Amino acid sequence: MEALNKKTILSARDVEIQFSLRGDKLTAIRGCSLDLYEGETLAIVGESGSGKSVFTKSFLGMLDQNGSITGGSIMYEGNDLAKYTTEKEWRTIRGKKISMVMQDPMTSLNPLKKVGMQIQESIELHQGLDKAAAKAEAIRMLDIVGIPNPEVRYNQYPHEFSGGMRQRAVIAIAVACHPDILICDEPTTALDVTIQAQILDLIRKLQKNLGMTIIYITHDLGVVASVADRVAVMYAGQIVEIGMAEEIFYDAWHPYTWALLSALPQLGIKGEKLPTIDGTPPNLFNKITGDAFAPRNRQALAIDFKKEPPFFDVSPTHKAKTWYLDPRAPKVTQPESIKRLAQRMNEDFGSNLKHPHEDPNREAVIQVKDLQVTFGTGRKKFVAVDNVNFEIYRGETFSLVGESGSGKTTIGRAITRINPTTAGEILYKGRKINGKISKELDLEVIKGCQMIFQDPLASLNERAKVDYIVSEGILNHHLYKDEQDREDKVQQALKEVGLLPEFASRFPHEFSGGQRQRIGIARALIMQPEFIVADEPISALDVSIRAQVLNLLNDLKKSRGLTYLFIAHDLSVVRFISDRIAVIHKGRIVELSEAEELFRHPLHPYTKSLLSAVPNPDPAIERNKQLVVYDPGMHDYSTDKPQWVEIIPGHFVYGNEKELDGYREELAKKA
Amino acid sequence: METKAVNTTAELEKELGMSEQELFSFVEYHAEDAERIGYSEYSYWKSVFRNFLKNKAAVVMIIVFFAIFIFSFVALWIGKYDYQHLIPDTNLCFQSPNSEYWFGTDNLGRDYWCQVWYATQTSIKLAAIVALGECLMGVTIGCIWGYVRKADRFFTELYNIFDSVPTMIYMTLIALFIGQTFWIMCASIILFHWMYMAKNVRNLVFMYRDREYNLASRCLGTNLFRILTKNILPYLISVIILRVALSIPSTIALETTLSYLGLGLDVNTPSLGILLRNSRTFFLDYPYLLIFPAVIVSLVTITFYLAGNAFSDAADPRNHV
Repeated sequence: MEALNKKTILSARDVEIQFSLRGDKLTAIRGCSLDLYEGETLAIVGESGSGKSVFTKSFLGMLDQNGSITGGSIMYEGNDLAKYTTEKEWRTIRGKKISMVMQDPMTSLNPLKKVGMQIQESIELHQGLDKAAAKAEAIRMLDIVGIPNPEVRYNQYPHEFSGGMRQRAVIAIAVACHPDILICDEPTTALDVTIQAQILDLIRKLQKNLGMTIIYITHDLGVVASVADRVAVMYAGQIVEIGMAEEIFYDAWHPYTWALLSALPQLGIKGEKLPTIDGTPPNLFNKITGDAFAPRNRQALAIDFKKEPPFFDVSPTHKAKTWYLDPRAPKVTQPESIKRLAQRMNEDFGSNLKHPHEDPNREAVIQVKDLQVTFGTGRKKFVAVDNVNFEIYRGETFSLVGESGSGKTTIGRAITRINPTTAGEILYKGRKINGKISKELDLEVIKGCQMIFQDPLASLNERAKVDYIVSEGILNHHLYKDEQDREDKVQQALKEVGLLPEFASRFPHEFSGGQRQRIGIARALIMQPEFIVADEPISALDVSIRAQVLNLLNDLKKSRGLTYLFIAHDLSVVRFISDRIAVIHKGRIVELSEAEELFRHPLHPYTKSLLSAVPNPDPAIERNKQLVVYDPGMHDYSTDKPQWVEIIPGHFVYGNEKELDGYREELAKKA
Repeated sequence: METKAVNTTAELEKELGMSEQELFSFVEYHAEDAERIGYSEYSYWKSVFRNFLKNKAAVVMIIVFFAIFIFSFVALWIGKYDYQHLIPDTNLCFQSPNSEYWFGTDNLGRDYWCQVWYATQTSIKLAAIVALGECLMGVTIGCIWGYVRKADRFFTELYNIFDSVPTMIYMTLIALFIGQTFWIMCASIILFHWMYMAKNVRNLVFMYRDREYNLASRCLGTNLFRILTKNILPYLISVIILRVALSIPSTIALETTLSYLGLGLDVNTPSLGILLRNSRTFFLDYPYLLIFPAVIVSLVTITFYLAGNAFSDAADPRNHV
C-alpha cells in the first residue's frame, strides 16, 4: 500500500505501438497505461508475444526500425518520450536516465573488448570523467555487482567470464551511470537456476543500495514472486491486471491471471490434471474486439466478445480489466488452485504416491551401467558423462535434473543412440543396445524408444508438411498397409495430441510453440513406443502452454503405459510429474531417489543448493528464503574415495564414508 | 492510472444491441476456436518472389536476356545466310553493316549476323550445361561431404589439391592433350568447378546437420538419402539457385577468356569468345566486329549478376518484412 504515497517517476498513457511487417500493420501494444513509482520494483509478466519487451523498449527508443509509437504519451521528467524521434534526443535518456539489461549476456558484450573497458566507455561517455577516474569507477562498479578480484577481471575478455559473471558485467554497464530506471528484460532466462538466484539477489541489493526503480520483465512467476513489489500482467498488448505482488498472487481477478497461476506445475497435484489454457494467443495482425482473452476463457461472458472491459478497482492499488468485476456480472469465484497458493497447500504433494522400489515385479525397461561418454580426442578430450548407473522401470517417469553442461542431454541421446558411448552398457529390456547391434534389434529399439525435443522451433523440419513430419517414422520402415492406412495413422496421432486432423496439410511455421511441441510428440507416438526420452520438452514453452504439454505427457503415460526419461533443469517442474528423480552434476549422478523423498530429505549439498535456488511462485516464501551455495571444492576425496551407495532403500547418494555417515545422521534426525 | 467511468446499462444495451442479461451471461466455450486464433499466413516462396519482383533492374534485365535468347533463334531463321553453309569470299571481307549483311562481314568475307547469333546460342548452351553439371555434382558431393563425418577429411584434401593449382594450368593441359570440342570444354569446366559449389553446400549442410529435427530423424531411423533430400536440401535451394545463377556469367567469362587465349573451343565452333578472339587483330579498324559480341557477353553477364544478387536478397528471410 505504501507505493501509493510514492512519487510517480514515469507515466505512460494509452501507448499504442505498431510494426509494419510484410506490408501489414501489427499492433503490438494496444493502448497500454502504466504509472511507475519511484524506488519500486515492478514486474511485467506475460507470455511471449504479449508485448512486454516492446512496451518497455519504447521508453528508451529502442524499438526495431519497422516499429513506432503511434499513439499515447510517455511522460518522464516533464518530457513526452513518445514524441522523441532523433538519436540525439534519445541519447539524453538512454543509459543515463533509463537503462536496460538484456536476456543474453553473450550478445550484449563485445567479445573483442576487455570487460572493464566496456564499462569505462559508458562512464566516460555519460559522466565525462577522465580516463583514470573512469577506470577507478569501472573497477568499483565491478566490485558492486559482486565480481571478485575486480582489478584482475577489469583486464579480461568476455569469454573468460562464466555466464553468470557475464550477466553481472552487463548489469555493471547498465548501472554505471546511476540511471533512475533500470529495465531488466528476462535477465536470468538464459542462466542456470543457481546462477539465476544469485543474479536476482544482486538486483535486489542494487535496488536497495543505489535507490533505483526497476522494471523486471519475465515470463516466470517464480521469479516475479522473488523480486517484485508490484506486478503487471500483460496479454495481447495490454496490461490486464496490475497490483501489489501479494494481491496478484493471492487475490487475482482477471481470468488470464488465474489461468497463468493455476497452470503452474508447482501448484499441481500429482496424479491430477493441471488446469490449462487451451489454444494460443491471438494474432495481432487482426483487429481484436472485446476482451482478447475471451476465446480461450472457459467462462467467458457474452459481453467479453463485444466490448473491451475497462479497468475496475479491486483495492486502491489493485486494478483488473475484466467484466467479472462489473456489478452486473454473474458471480464468479477464483479457481481452486489459486486458493491453494493462498493457503500454502502446495507443500503437500499427494497421497497416491507410488513406491517403485518396493514393487517386486518391477521390470527395468532401461538399464544404464557404468556409462561413460567422452567428446573429442587426445588432449581435448572432455568427459561429458562419467560412470552413471540407473534403471528405469516400466510405467514410471524418471527425471534427470541438472544444470547446463551437466551431461543430462548426453545421457538421453546416448540411450536413443544419437551420441555414441565410450564405455559401459545400456540395456533395453535386458538387451545391450549401445555399440554395434543387429538390424532386427535396431528396428526394435527405433520402434520402442523415441525422443521428444526441447526446442519446438528447431525440432520440426520447416520445409515439410505436418503430414510428412508425423509419418516419417512409419515411412522409413514401411509400417503401414497402404496410403489410406498411413493417413489414418497420422490423423489418429494428431488427434491423440489434441490437434485438428486438418492440420496435417499445413507447414510447421503456421503453428504456435505449444502446437509444434505436440506435433513433435505425435511424431514419436506414431511408432507406438514403450519408452520416451523427453529432453526438456517444456523449458522453451510459455507457462500457459507448459501445462498443456505436461498434461498430455501424463495422459499418454496412463493410456499407453508409457515410460519416460524426463530431462529438466528445473526441479520444481519435475516434482509434479516424476516418480523418481536423479540429480546430475558435472557428468555424475550425485543423488537418486523417489520424488517426494528427494524433496523432503535432500542429502547431497548440490541437491540442497538446487532446491534452495528454485524460485517459488509465492512472495511470502520467496522473501524469506536462504540461498544455499554449492562449492564442489568442499569434497575432500583425496584419501577417502567416494562411492555410489543406497543409503536407505530407494535413495542413492554419491559420497565418501565420512560424508555418508553425516547423511545417515541427518536422515535419522529427520525421522 | 485512473479507472475509466463504466458505461451505464442503458448505454451498453444500446451500443451492443443485447440486453444486460444476455451480455453478462456465460457463453459456450469452443476449444477449436481457441486453437485457431493464432494462425498466421506466411509462405516463404511467395515472399521471395514478391521481393524479387520489387527489384526492377533485375526484372528488366531478365526480360532482356530472354528476349535475346529467343531472338537468337528468330535471327538465324530470318537471316539471309545459313551458318552451316558460309563460304569464305575474300572479295567481300570487312563490309560494314548494310542491308545485305546486317552485321557486316568478317575478315574472310562471311556474314557476321549469323555468326554472332549462332555464337550466342553456343555460349548460352555451354553456360547452361556447365551450370547444370556443376549443380548436380556439387550438390551431391557437397551433401555427402557435409553430412558423412568420415568423408569430410577425404573431400577436404581433394578440394585443397584441386584448388591450390590454378585452373588455367589444368585447362591448358586438357586443351593441348585431349582436345577442344564443345563437350570436352563442358566436361573440363564442370570437373574443376563443381568443388566450389560442393564446398558451399558442405558448409551449409554442416550448419543444418545437427539441428534437432535431424536428430529426430536419426531417432526415427531415417536413412541418409531421405535426410538429405527431405530435411536438408529444401533449406539449401535458395543458395543453390543463387550459385547456379552466378555460375552462368562466370562460365561465359571463362569461356571467353579461354577462347581468347586459344585454349577454349576450336576456331570453327563459333562462341562469343571465339568471335572476340578472331576480331582482336582487326577491331581498331573495324570496331563493329568487337562491339556486337561484346555487347551480348556484357548483357548476359550483367543480367545474371543482377538477378543473382536480387534473388539472394529476396531469399534472405530477414528482408521479408
